[in-house]
Amino acid sequence: MSAEEWQIVWFTAWVSALSTILILPFGLALAWLLARYDWPAKSLVETFLSLPLVMPPVATGLILLRLLGRRGPLGAFLHNHFDLDVVFTWRAVVVALSVMSLPLFVRSARVAFQELNPRLEQIARTLGATPFRVFLTITLPLASRGLVAGMILAFARALGEFGATIMVAGNIPGKTSTLSLAIYQNVQLGQDAHALQLLGVSVVLAFAAVLGSELLLRKKARKT
Amino acid sequence: MSLTLSNLRVALANFTLEVEAKLGGRITVIFGPSGAGKTSLLDVVAGLRPAESAFIQLGGRVLNDTSKNIFVRPNRRNIGYVPQDLALFPHLSVRRNLLYGHKSTRDPSRLFSFDHVIDVLEIQPLIRRGVTDLSGGEKQRVALARALLTSPRLLLLDEPLASLDLKLKTRIIPFLVRIRDEFGIPMLYVTHDRFETLALADEMLVLLDGKVAQAGSVQQLFSHPANLAVAGLLTVETIQQGSVAKIENGLMTVKVGSITLTAVPEQPNLHARDVYVCIRAEDVILLKGHDTPSSARNHLSAVVQSITREGPLARVELECGFTLSALLTKQACEEMEIKPGDRVVALIKAPHIHLIPR
Repeated sequence: MSAEEWQIVWFTAWVSALSTILILPFGLALAWLLARYDWPAKSLVETFLSLPLVMPPVATGLILLRLLGRRGPLGAFLHNHFDLDVVFTWRAVVVALSVMSLPLFVRSARVAFQELNPRLEQIARTLGATPFRVFLTITLPLASRGLVAGMILAFARALGEFGATIMVAGNIPGKTSTLSLAIYQNVQLGQDAHALQLLGVSVVLAFAAVLGSELLLRKKARKT
Repeated sequence: MSLTLSNLRVALANFTLEVEAKLGGRITVIFGPSGAGKTSLLDVVAGLRPAESAFIQLGGRVLNDTSKNIFVRPNRRNIGYVPQDLALFPHLSVRRNLLYGHKSTRDPSRLFSFDHVIDVLEIQPLIRRGVTDLSGGEKQRVALARALLTSPRLLLLDEPLASLDLKLKTRIIPFLVRIRDEFGIPMLYVTHDRFETLALADEMLVLLDGKVAQAGSVQQLFSHPANLAVAGLLTVETIQQGSVAKIENGLMTVKVGSITLTAVPEQPNLHARDVYVCIRAEDVILLKGHDTPSSARNHLSAVVQSITREGPLARVELECGFTLSALLTKQACEEMEIKPGDRVVALIKAPHIHLIPR
């Protein structure tokens, strides 16, 4: 593989991992609130959250482009106050991947929290634990299987993201080109051998992610 | 213990839980059918369920006073809670389950050492195991120990023995008695089992559809149930409709069908003509052969219908003009060679015939 192709592989793995880590705190909090509490506008938030799942990714990408472009409300703010440009940079890739994979993580995490017997958390409180300690020592470990599964889903979604990324970040070689974008471009240019190479790498990456998390969970199960 | 529950109101699915009680026993049993609000009451005391209104005071400390916006959070109440499903943490070993609450209790407020609790509840051999592969009785002891290790000022036990068979129950009860006597921690003990109540409690509170039907000493409730619902709940075995024939020299003559019984009126002002006659099975004495004079005022000739073994006891159903239940030791039953069809005499002392106005 050429240096250029390796760059694409590293870049894709890196932005996918970064977006997965970035959605973690926000996704956990959201999943927790959805699983445990009833609040006004809850169903509105739920619907809004599922939109990236049901809308064409390109449409989601267009919304992000409008929002984050220099003339968009968020883009203008970032440009004027922080001198930060988002669209057509690696940051746009991370934003697109995060938005597209957040709903998948929240769904898995929410189910994981809901399946947990709330009695365990309540009794932990009567044993003197603060809500934060209960969350760290009871909720998170017991929900870990579902949470890790959600993270894999999110990571896999990020690896394969195409539509939203190309809208908001373009396909700039060496800057915003990810595996999916590069495979598409290679096929377009008739460079099937390159496309197949990148395809092989995608399979290996996905396989490694799933296997890695399996091993992690098994190790955890043995420890306790 | 002195636990004051005042003006306590909690809306539940089918009714409102309303409790007004001052509890002072070492072990207070909360007795009632399932769905009466017993667990909800424990949850409110533990601070796990909010009350619409409540004043809860344990010892000198106010835990909840809705009128003054006082609410002590569950982790600061110092109340141990063993729920019905025990809620052992499945991802932690027995040892780490036990230490979970122990660690958050500061040294000066610890009432007893880790080793002492482990010793009393005989947990030492289990300590390195995972909680998921413990037996029912072992889990029960671990859950009890975990709650005790926080040095609670009150222990809430929700049907702790309900899921255990009779053999295991009789093995766990001595542990509870040891907790009561050695650690001196007051307990609120939810059950609908008479055997546990009589073995452990000194005070009880009967809850029916969210309301306190009766509260008082165990002795008092079992011998003088306030109404038919309480009598039925405490399984006073024989309840018959009767009518008061006369009151003479402080004794009351009651007719149940064609049978005449002598009772001592518990309430001097009992003027009702129609009553329920309640007789507890353990208050019935059986005599085989000829009737002989005795101090018991009621001698009923009866025919044995059936005999059912209940652990060390035997329950004998009799027909004596109405159906009467008697509880004997198995040994007595064998010595008397009682079998179905035998003619016997049932003796009941007048004070053991309890009357509730209809």
